[in-house]
Amino acid sequence: MSRLPRGVRDAVLAVTLVFVVGSIAMLVAHASPLVGFGALFSGALGSPSELGETLVQTTALLFPALGITIAFRAGLFNIGAEGQLVLGGLTAGYVAAALPLPGVAAIPIVLLAGALGGGVWGALAGFLKARFGANEVIATLMLNVIAALLATYIVNGPFKMNGATAGETASIPHGSWLPTLIPDTRLTIAFIIALIVAALVRFMLARTVFGYELRAAGDAPEAAKRAGVDLSRTALVAMSLSGAIAGLGGAAIVLGVLHRFNTALSPGYGFIAIAVALVGNLDPLFVTIAAFAFGVLQSGALSMQSEAQVPKDVVAIIEGVVIIALAGRRYFSRGSDR
Amino acid sequence: MDAAFALLVLTLIKATPLLYASLGGVLSERSGVVNIGLEGMLVAGAFFGVVGSYASGNAIVGAICGVLAATLLAALFAFVVTRFALDQIVAGTGINIAAIGAAAYGLVIVFGQPGASHEVAALGRAGEAVLIGFAIVLAIVLQLVIDRTPWGLRVRACGENPAAAAAAGIDPLRTRFIAVTIGGAVAGLGGVFLSLGELDLYSDGMTAGRGFIALAAVIFGRWNPLGALGASLFFGFFAALQYTLQRSGVPSELMQALPYLAALVALAGFAGRVRAPAADGVPYVK
Repeated sequence: MSRLPRGVRDAVLAVTLVFVVGSIAMLVAHASPLVGFGALFSGALGSPSELGETLVQTTALLFPALGITIAFRAGLFNIGAEGQLVLGGLTAGYVAAALPLPGVAAIPIVLLAGALGGGVWGALAGFLKARFGANEVIATLMLNVIAALLATYIVNGPFKMNGATAGETASIPHGSWLPTLIPDTRLTIAFIIALIVAALVRFMLARTVFGYELRAAGDAPEAAKRAGVDLSRTALVAMSLSGAIAGLGGAAIVLGVLHRFNTALSPGYGFIAIAVALVGNLDPLFVTIAAFAFGVLQSGALSMQSEAQVPKDVVAIIEGVVIIALAGRRYFSRGSDR
Repeated sequence: MDAAFALLVLTLIKATPLLYASLGGVLSERSGVVNIGLEGMLVAGAFFGVVGSYASGNAIVGAICGVLAATLLAALFAFVVTRFALDQIVAGTGINIAAIGAAAYGLVIVFGQPGASHEVAALGRAGEAVLIGFAIVLAIVLQLVIDRTPWGLRVRACGENPAAAAAAGIDPLRTRFIAVTIGGAVAGLGGVFLSLGELDLYSDGMTAGRGFIALAAVIFGRWNPLGALGASLFFGFFAALQYTLQRSGVPSELMQALPYLAALVALAGFAGRVRAPAADGVPYVK
């Protein structure tokens, strides 16, 4: 085992934990793990439409996980993907419902609006860090809650849209929905966009000067600083980019899945995405694979609940334990930075 | 006068779970461990408090169960971040996700229904008052313990410079483990207060991010128990005011956002210099 690369060891550990923790939880619920996991996997992968739903979940996790990957590689603990995703969705929902542009022309603008909304939210934490040295962990945690409250206020308060139900924006005209990939599923080209973003992030980290500086700032901030890397600027840009990708994910859910913004847009995608990014060893290629694995868990949970009488929350327990188990890696040399 | 008194009482009720959680956070962070998992420890206290009361028919037994569950969860967290030097932020995030999921799962297993438990024997008005009073006493006692006792000095040494503490014969890992675990027990009381003090049941989402407000209170209170008391009362007052002002047109979301905004302001240094313990969040490796 110890000869294997770290990433492979982490993946093996994660998969083992999924089955061990899941089985224990199922046994506690007096359910057979065989039946439970059987229902989970067949519910996630058993038919084209089920696979489609799994890829919907994969997409929803992949965007924030890629954002988190960028921030973590830069040595910044962005725990705020959840808030960035929500604000991206909120911005996208408003722009999409209010935009006079018909049909497909609106799509790129709405996606950009989502990226902008999430990006601003990420940039806020980046700015507080770069300008005032405010710890980004606490800042992003606070910004998560503020984002949720802000969204609730905007949607229900004075900016409530005509014809919208509580907690939602008005629905988006059918013509501007993202085109589906598999008929009669919720799987849209958002999945393809997520894969393209993954490829771009990988290229950016591995092949560009900024990617190099970003990794240097994460791996050895002191050395990077002496070599001329502007740490403040790197933090600001990395957090903005991180938030923008999470926000793009929010916009993709709005345009492709819900066709409106809803305050219950995310069942914690931004937090589960932390596990996705860690299981994927902070490498966009493996993060993509990890997003699929977690997508299977997310989408199979409901069939497991209905067919094997295992409460779907077992998935959250599994995800939490996997995160704890993968907290062992020293991500970067963090000094005291508050 | 009656309205003012009602506001005061409600402030104390809203401040108490925050105070327990933030005192747990202060103890943990002064020893050098950032405890993002406070929310999970509140959940553990609240959920197992109700389960214990349900199983035994006795609210006090329930309260003990709640505190024990939170203590165990904190001990697990403390163990992995000290002995294995796991990353505190990542592990704490995992603790929260797992605890919230486990409580939702447990509701179905124990009570056969999702969402909320049955109503169980609760601590009642008297028990609620005792827990409120105890929280305030605890803040004063902890301040004295941290400032004036040899153990408090050891905790502070491990939070500021664990290597120097180790050179002076203190075991930083052991000290941190104990501080975080006791902190978890204290936070667990906050959870018990929510489920068995204020109410008589557990429902999903009942902790409502109080563990995160508590983190804000730790910072706003400048890592001091009495500061955490002040911050909790401040946040509790605004939570209480929100009920009072519900019909006056002030949007409740903006009031709810206040603690978080206040914490951001404090973090950015606008409220005077704020300094965390120097080794806060930094794993110690022998």
